Amino acid sequence: MATHAQEDMVKNYRYVPEDFMKHLMGTLGIVSVLVLVLAGLFGVPEQPPLTIQNNAIQNPVAFEAMTTRDLNGQGRMANYGPPYNNGTGNLEFVFQKWVGVLHPLNAENDFIIKPLRMAATVNPAITPPLNAFESASPAQQVAWANNYETALAKGTVRNGVVVVPAGNYGPVPALMNDTLKLGESGLMSGALIRNPSVVTRFNNQNYQLFLEGDPLHNAAASLQLKGTQWGIQHSAVVGYPGAWWMTIPTWIYQWPFVANSPAADAVALSIGFVFWLALALTPWIPGWNKVPRYLGVYKLVWKDFYYRQTHPAAGKGDDTRGVS
Amino acid sequence: MANWTTASRKALTEAMSVDTWLPEKMPEYAQGFMYMLGSLTASSFVALIISGVVLAANGPASWSYNGADRFAAAVHFWSVQAFFFFMMLHLWRVFFTGAWRGGRRETWLLGAVAMIVAIPTAFTGFLINGDFYSQWNAVQAKDGLNALGLGWVNLPNAGQMFGMHVVVLPLTLSLIIFGHIYRVRIKGVVPPYPITQEAATSKEAK
Ligand code: HEM
Repeated sequence: MATHAQEDMVKNYRYVPEDFMKHLMGTLGIVSVLVLVLAGLFGVPEQPPLTIQNNAIQNPVAFEAMTTRDLNGQGRMANYGPPYNNGTGNLEFVFQKWVGVLHPLNAENDFIIKPLRMAATVNPAITPPLNAFESASPAQQVAWANNYETALAKGTVRNGVVVVPAGNYGPVPALMNDTLKLGESGLMSGALIRNPSVVTRFNNQNYQLFLEGDPLHNAAASLQLKGTQWGIQHSAVVGYPGAWWMTIPTWIYQWPFVANSPAADAVALSIGFVFWLALALTPWIPGWNKVPRYLGVYKLVWKDFYYRQTHPAAGKGDDTRGVS
Repeated sequence: MANWTTASRKALTEAMSVDTWLPEKMPEYAQGFMYMLGSLTASSFVALIISGVVLAANGPASWSYNGADRFAAAVHFWSVQAFFFFMMLHLWRVFFTGAWRGGRRETWLLGAVAMIVAIPTAFTGFLINGDFYSQWNAVQAKDGLNALGLGWVNLPNAGQMFGMHVVVLPLTLSLIIFGHIYRVRIKGVVPPYPITQEAATSKEAK
């Protein structure tokens, strides 16, 4: 197998002395100077995160719209699907179903009810609406939440409380305003990042997923970070390089049939993987593995070598360099 | 492969020999900037390890607000850029020179595997920086992994990402890079395409 490749290679070349250690130290030196200078000049790009507290303070009505969607099952996480729950909103592929619910998340309970139960020990006024909500039928809960979500389109903020036109919302407005207050206080992060068994708090999943939905997407859109904006290519701080090595997968995401697919992520990554396979298997792909020979760029890379080969006189000087 | 010990001795003798790792001669064609690109990539990886060890030693809590750690993070950040930059140039060089010829196909394959492992290695690093870029990409990119049934890797869980970024992925990548460079050293760099006759007859020989 390797033999036919051999015909592809020159055999009449010499070895010349080389200080390999110097070569290694040289490249390490170049890189060290380069990164130290860049780090000194430009530092590291850092865009402040969108905290739950900031979001609650800055966009109270939108915040409540998001938390209300945790109650009616319309939120991105509420209806996500595996590995978080049994929803269908982000169920793209059969594999996703097979892995099952690995990191259980019940948006209604984990994002709203449990934090409010904890807050109620400090502020007992939270308890009655909470009990009223929990003792209602699921259908009733969803109906209230749906009505309130619709009404929030006309929501305004008065004395720090979101107010909507009168309607049939049950205890939902009270609960959502309590959730908003909890968010504004900054205590929501503590209520979400919990693990009663250990003191470490390494798993911040619920904190990060709480804002999944309009808040994060709007913030990302204004920074050109969304997938349809070639997101990963861009740094969150203008002027810095992003993950430009993701150009090909990002480009695939822009293909109309991928972008419009309900399984966009699965399709884009699968196609990206095929691209990688084509690269990785290049040596084994007949025809494709001959392409560099026809492109001829190698003639530039080995220009000096070929020159010496075709001009034996020019190589004379080099012959004195102690050949093995 | 009758005797495993004999086979291992033979393989290790070559793998651990200074002749393999510290050659004093190189083929005459393997000179110049084009042949520095792989070493520049590897050197960037060394810079990544050093700055990464500094960051890991101080712990994730101080990265975002401690001035000295910010500098280490900046070095780390620019080393990532250098790493991919040189890797891409190296990739072009080895592609245009058909460097998989003469039993070097596995070398190419290991390079390609290094590239695809480097991507999540860098990505998980972005995820544990803790700024908006982290936050957004953790939440945004989870859908792709989940869709492919890889949801065990839970991008919004910074603890898991820390382990992935600081141990699992760099260790894996180090082994792959080691294997890649080892194969280059054992096989030697690929000789040029023959050209002399062609040059004489002025056009591509059939
Ligand atoms: C982690 C990134 C990588 C590192 C650190 C690395 C390092 C190196 C080094 C030090 C060499 C020795 C020759 C030279 O420096 O030009 C080399 C050669 C080679 N690399 Fe890489 N490489 C990487 C990625 C890749 C990729 C992505 C590919 C291709 C898909 C690749 C394919 C090759 C091949 C085929 C050779 C043999 C070259 C020859 O015989 O002339 N490498 N690599």
